[in-house]
Amino acid sequence: MRCPKLLVFLAITASLRAENFAIRGATIHPVSAPDVPNAVLVVTGDRIADMGPKAAIPKGYKIIEGKGLHVYPGMIDSASVLGLSEIGSIRETQDFTELGDFNPQLRTIVAINPGSEHIAVTRASGITTSVVVPSGGVIGGQASIVHLDGWTWEEMAVEKSTAMQMRLPSIEAGFGGRGGGGRGFGAARRPFAEVKRRYDEQMQQVRLFFEQARAYQMRKANPVLGFKPDLRLEAMIPVLEGKKPLIIVAEKERGIRDALAFAEREKVKIVLAGVREIDPFLEEIAKKNIPVVLPDLYQVPIEDDASIDEPLDIPGKLAKAGIKFAFGSYNIERPRNLPFQAANAVANGLSYDLALKALTLHAAEIWGVADRLGSIDKGKFADFILTDGDPLETKTQIKQMWILGNPVSLETRHTQLYDRYKKRL
Amino acid sequence: MDKTAQGAGAINCYPIPFMTRHLVLTALLASGVWAQPAGTTVIAIRDAQIHSANGPVISKGTVLVRNGLIEAVGDKVSIPPEAWVVDGAGLHVYPGLIDPLSTWGLPVAAGTGRPTQAPAPGPTPTTPAQLEQRIQTLDDGGPEERPSNTSWVRAADLLDPKSAALVSARNAGYTTAIGFAMTNVFAGQGSAYNLAGTRAGQMVVGDPVGQMVTLPVRGFGGGFPGSLMGILSYVRQIYIDADYYKAAQALYSQNPVGLQRPAYDRALDGVIASPRLLLPASRLAEIDRMLRFGKEMKQPLVLYGGAEAFRAASLLAAAKVPMLVNLRWPERERDLDPFIKEPLRTLETRDLAPSSPAELVKAGVRFAFYSGGVERPADLRKAVKKAIDAGLSKEEALKGLTLYPAQIFGLDNRLGSIEVGKIANLTIMDGDLFDEKSKLKFTLIDGSKYEPAPEAAPANPESTQ
Repeated sequence: MRCPKLLVFLAITASLRAENFAIRGATIHPVSAPDVPNAVLVVTGDRIADMGPKAAIPKGYKIIEGKGLHVYPGMIDSASVLGLSEIGSIRETQDFTELGDFNPQLRTIVAINPGSEHIAVTRASGITTSVVVPSGGVIGGQASIVHLDGWTWEEMAVEKSTAMQMRLPSIEAGFGGRGGGGRGFGAARRPFAEVKRRYDEQMQQVRLFFEQARAYQMRKANPVLGFKPDLRLEAMIPVLEGKKPLIIVAEKERGIRDALAFAEREKVKIVLAGVREIDPFLEEIAKKNIPVVLPDLYQVPIEDDASIDEPLDIPGKLAKAGIKFAFGSYNIERPRNLPFQAANAVANGLSYDLALKALTLHAAEIWGVADRLGSIDKGKFADFILTDGDPLETKTQIKQMWILGNPVSLETRHTQLYDRYKKRL
Repeated sequence: MDKTAQGAGAINCYPIPFMTRHLVLTALLASGVWAQPAGTTVIAIRDAQIHSANGPVISKGTVLVRNGLIEAVGDKVSIPPEAWVVDGAGLHVYPGLIDPLSTWGLPVAAGTGRPTQAPAPGPTPTTPAQLEQRIQTLDDGGPEERPSNTSWVRAADLLDPKSAALVSARNAGYTTAIGFAMTNVFAGQGSAYNLAGTRAGQMVVGDPVGQMVTLPVRGFGGGFPGSLMGILSYVRQIYIDADYYKAAQALYSQNPVGLQRPAYDRALDGVIASPRLLLPASRLAEIDRMLRFGKEMKQPLVLYGGAEAFRAASLLAAAKVPMLVNLRWPERERDLDPFIKEPLRTLETRDLAPSSPAELVKAGVRFAFYSGGVERPADLRKAVKKAIDAGLSKEEALKGLTLYPAQIFGLDNRLGSIEVGKIANLTIMDGDLFDEKSKLKFTLIDGSKYEPAPEAAPANPESTQ
C-alpha cells in the first residue's frame, strides 16, 4: 500500500455513498463455488464482507429479505464500445476510431460518456461491467474496464488500460468484403495479386512498427542525452513486456493463423476476439493458453456452406478444447442480449456452468481483474444482482442490482417509454 | 469433270468461261468470299454425309441448291448439267448453324462478337456504349418517360454487313444469327439475318422475331429504373400500357369522332409489334421468377441464360417455355483469392451447367445454344462439346444449333434443317461437327459459298475488282 491516505479517502467516500447491508435467505450462486441456499451476504462499503449460510450480520446493517430469490455476480461484457458511441448516424457521438494505422496511445477510458443511454439498457439484463474496446487501423488504442455506474469516468474505471486493441491487415479486407467475395455496387474487384501485394506491404509496416517500439523500449531503458519521449511508442512498452495483452480481432481462418504467428514472432500476449473459423486452431490455442472473446453469436453462418449452428456452436467447441473464453457484444445496442447468447450457447453444446463463468469469473480472469470481479467471494467488489431466477433465462426479472455496494437503478430508456405509453391505454 | 486437277472438294464450273473463273478465284483469295450473283447459281454437293437435323443421316447423298434455296436432297438426286458440283466425299453437310441470341454484325459488339453482360444483374456499365446509355437515362423520370426503352429499334436496321464479327462467325460454321441490340431494359426487336451479304436488307430472314428484356441493374445513381424490383415493375407497367394503347388505338381508328386521340408512343408500338418476349434467367430462382412473370405478360415466352436450367428442367417443362442456353458456361472468376472456399452450390452449378441441355431434352423442354459471352466464335464448338460430354446426344446438340433455334423463333419453315424449299444455308465440315479435329470446309449462305477467311482483316467488297 503505497498511498494509504488515498485509500482511506476512497473508503470514506464510498461509505458515504453506500449503505452497509446484508441480504438474507436468498440462494447465492458464487460461480467460484457451489450454490449456497438460504445464505447471508454481507456488504460493507463497496466490498463483500462475508458470505455463507451462517454469516453474521453486524449491527446497524440494513437487512434485505431475499427469500425465494437468487444472487448472482454482475456479468461482464468482454468487448463493447459502451460510452464511446451513442447514435450510429450522428458523427459527433462516435468516438472509438481514430485515423491512422497505429494509435496505441489512445485511451478509451477518458472518452467514455458516463451519461450514455446505453449504459442503463446494458444493465437491464444483469451486466455490471464492460470492457470498452476501440477500433480502427491496425492498433486502435487501449481497452479499459468500467463499471456501469458512476458520474464520471474516474468513478466508473475498474482498469484504465487493460489491453491493446489490434486488427492485423487482411487479404479479405483488401477485397473490400468480409467474406472476400462480396463487393459493393459498381466497385471493380481488384485482382488477387494486387491485394496480396498491399497486404504484404501492410504486414511489413506492422513489423516495422513493433521494431520501432522495441528500439524505443531499449532507448528508454538506457536513456542518453536527447532522449525524446514518444507517447505512441511509450504506450507499446507494457505490450512488449508482456504485461498487457493485445486483443487481436480475427474472424477467418487466415486471420487467426496470422494472429497466432504474429504473437509467436513478437513474443506478445494476446487475446483472440471475434473468432469464427476456429476449428483448425483449437489445439494450438488451448496449448498456448490463449483466451478468446467470442464473436457476436447472433449472426448468420459465416459462409454459405458453414454449419447451420455456426457461430452458436463455437463456445461448445472452445470449452471442449479447454480454451478459456468470454462473451462480447462488440456494440452498444445489444450487450443486453449477452446472457441470452450464453443460453443459446448452452443449447448448442456448452455446459451451463461454463456459460455462466464465461460471463463472470472467466471474463474477470482473462482481463486480470479476478481479484476484484467475477464471483461472489469475500473481499471482492459488491457487484451482484438479485433475481427471481436464472439470469440467462429471458423471463427472469432482475429485482435489484448493486455496483460497488450501491443499489443501481434498473430504469432504462425502454422502461421509461413503456411507462409513458402505458398511461395512454 | 476435272476432278484430278483440283482434288477432292474442288469446284468445277463448266458453264463459266476460264477467264471469269480466274477472276472469281482472285476475288475469293482477296476476300475469302465467293460472291456469285444471287439467284443464278446451282450448286450440287454430292457423295457427302448429310445431317439434315430433322431426319435420318444420309450417309452418301447429294444436296442440290438453286437460287439460294434447297431444291433437292437425298441419295438419288440427279444433278442437272448447269450445276457447279462439289465432290463431297468425306465431307459432312449440316444445316447452317444459328445463333439465337447474338450481336454479330450489330454496332454494340462490333468486331468482337461479345455482347454486353445483360442476362444477369451486374455492376455499373463499363463499355462506352453502356456509359452513354446511362448518361442518357440519368435525367429520366418515371415509367411514362419510357427510360431505357428502345423497344421499336430493330436489329435489322443496325446491321452492318461489313462487320468483322460476321467473318468470325462464318468461320465458326454459323450462317444465321438472331440479333438483339442488348442495351436498355427493352432492348428492342430481334431480327434474324444471314451472316453474309453486301446489303443488310438482303441478309434479313425474319423480322421482328421478339422483344428482348434485359435487367441492367445499375444501382443507385444509374437512373430509373436501377433496381431489380424497379425494372420488373417497369416492364409490367409497359405491358399494361401497351394493352391499353392497343385498345385505345383500335377504338379510335374505328371512329375518331368525339374521341380524344391516343398519343403516339413508339415504345408501346414496339412492344405490340413483338411476337414474343425474351426474359433473362440463369439461376433457379430467376427461372422460377421469370416463368411466373412472363405468364403475367401474356406473351409467348422465351428465357435466356439457363446456367442452372438443370435444376429447373421440370419447371420449364410444366410451363412449356423454351430456354436459350448460354454457351459461356460458368467459370471461376479470374484473379480470385485462391484461399476462398466457394460455396458448394456455386461449384455444383459450375460442374453441372453443361448438363442443362441434356436435362432439358430429357424433360421435353425446347432449347437452343446461344453464343452469349463466348468471345471467339471459334470456341463455341468446344463449348457445345462440353454439353455433349455431359450427356447430350450429338443429334440433339445439332438440333440445338439449327432446328431448335429456328423453331423457337418461328423460322423453321425457312431455316434450321436440310429440307427441300428451305433457305440454302449449309455448313460443310471435313469431319464430324463435334470432333475437335474437324475443320470447316465452307458454308453456303443463301446459296453462296463462303470459305474460311482470315479473321483480322474485315471483308472489304470494294477490293474485289
